[in-house]
Amino acid sequence: MEKLEKRYPTGVEALRGVSLQIEPGELFGLLGPNGAGKSTLIHCTTGLAQPTGGSIHVFGHDAIGDYGPARQAVGLAPQEPNLDWFLTVEESLDYHAGYFGMPKRERAERTAELLETFSLTEKADERTRTLSGGMKRRLILARAMMHRPRLLILDEPTAGVDVELRLELWHYVQRINAEGTTILLTTHYLEEAEQLCDRIAFINHGEIVGEGTSAELSARYGVDNLEDAYLTLVGRKELSRSHVPVEPETVQ
Amino acid sequence: MSTAQIRFATLWRREVNRFMKIKKQTLGAPLLEAFLYISVFGAALGSRVGELHGFDYILFVIPGLIMMSFSTNSFANNSSSILQQKFQGAIQDQLSSPASPLELLLAFSLGGFTRGLIVASLTFVASALLAGLPVDNVLVLIPSLFLVGFFFAQLGVTIGVRAEQFDDVAFAQTFVLQPLIFLGGVFYSAALLPQPFETLTRFNPLFYMINLVRYGFIGYSEVSVALSLLALTAATGALFAFNLRLFSRGYRLRA
Repeated sequence: MEKLEKRYPTGVEALRGVSLQIEPGELFGLLGPNGAGKSTLIHCTTGLAQPTGGSIHVFGHDAIGDYGPARQAVGLAPQEPNLDWFLTVEESLDYHAGYFGMPKRERAERTAELLETFSLTEKADERTRTLSGGMKRRLILARAMMHRPRLLILDEPTAGVDVELRLELWHYVQRINAEGTTILLTTHYLEEAEQLCDRIAFINHGEIVGEGTSAELSARYGVDNLEDAYLTLVGRKELSRSHVPVEPETVQ
Repeated sequence: MSTAQIRFATLWRREVNRFMKIKKQTLGAPLLEAFLYISVFGAALGSRVGELHGFDYILFVIPGLIMMSFSTNSFANNSSSILQQKFQGAIQDQLSSPASPLELLLAFSLGGFTRGLIVASLTFVASALLAGLPVDNVLVLIPSLFLVGFFFAQLGVTIGVRAEQFDDVAFAQTFVLQPLIFLGGVFYSAALLPQPFETLTRFNPLFYMINLVRYGFIGYSEVSVALSLLALTAATGALFAFNLRLFSRGYRLRA
């Protein structure tokens, strides 16, 4: 994306000239505080928001002018579960693939495969609104993968999930990345970004303020780890856990 | 099927699936309503009213009821479905797919149209069997019903896209659509009204739609059939163009 801008009708400038290059096959992390512009950036890529300036290309396709192939290449697992209450788990996957033009037989095979991968087979005929939070997360990820996107966008995929599911998701993400899927991940968990991502960008107030590997970012801010780099970025260095002074009187 | 055909068929299938899953409310209730109207106005009141312009009162009323079923169901389906999906956020799944604004608009429209068509067809079959409803001019009836259904399917889309709460949809249905239908002459002939109501009725677009459908069934109309068809075609085309613009701009659908 090149100088991407998004100004909402309310006057809020969510993105102020964001330029970012994600390489094919990369696992790229996007970090920033709430309201920094992460979700807006993702929505501009998938057509859910319309940029007011700049451009985005997905594998060479203009996401606005040539949106068909651009959207075909993207799978989105959004932050808020946006499942269709009227559909069952199986239908959610089947319909999604249909929206992306996948033929019936292939849809059936892919649905069965992903239901199995995400341990949803037993829930296949249940309506989506009866699922637990964790199950909804699984389904959203399975749905994003249904049409075999070349770019998978995960918007805070592990927010509010238990330890097992988080680790399961991490394994899955690493596996499909190794198989060639490019991944854009936003997260608030810095250790998640540190463990998974090849490169990371910090976004704040709608601008990219730092980009590189975890080590590069730490070095740039002259700190020991990604968390301190992040705290420096958001101006809250005093919260750093690296230099917490141990007060003798509190140690009994 | 091509990729685009699969996409369109799935978008449409989703809309049909929604109303089929709640068919007591979406098909059963409107059918019962039509049956009650026919019972009350046909059997109970009809015998007292006698004939209107040479037709049994029941035969005069049923075409209007069929038109009413088609229009209210097309409208209600689309306005509710779109607003519900906006509330759930589920509409993002369709909006982030490669579907074009035209495909999305047509598929959403066709969902309500299908529901209207099912209810209207069943009402027709029941009326033909029970009351001997004729079909006098099929070449006027089919395009008229098609246009009426499509017009209200479009109107449902417009309201669904613009609505921000369920109250907005209920308002349009109860305070705008219903009075226009009732005052458009479903249950009476405008010629029987005193002035200025007879003239006022002629400003109600529903009056022309009811007359077109009535002409198709029983061969009687209080207005020019050709002019009414032309005006309805123009109105439907204009509303479709307006909706296409809403979808192309992403109005209240895309941020």
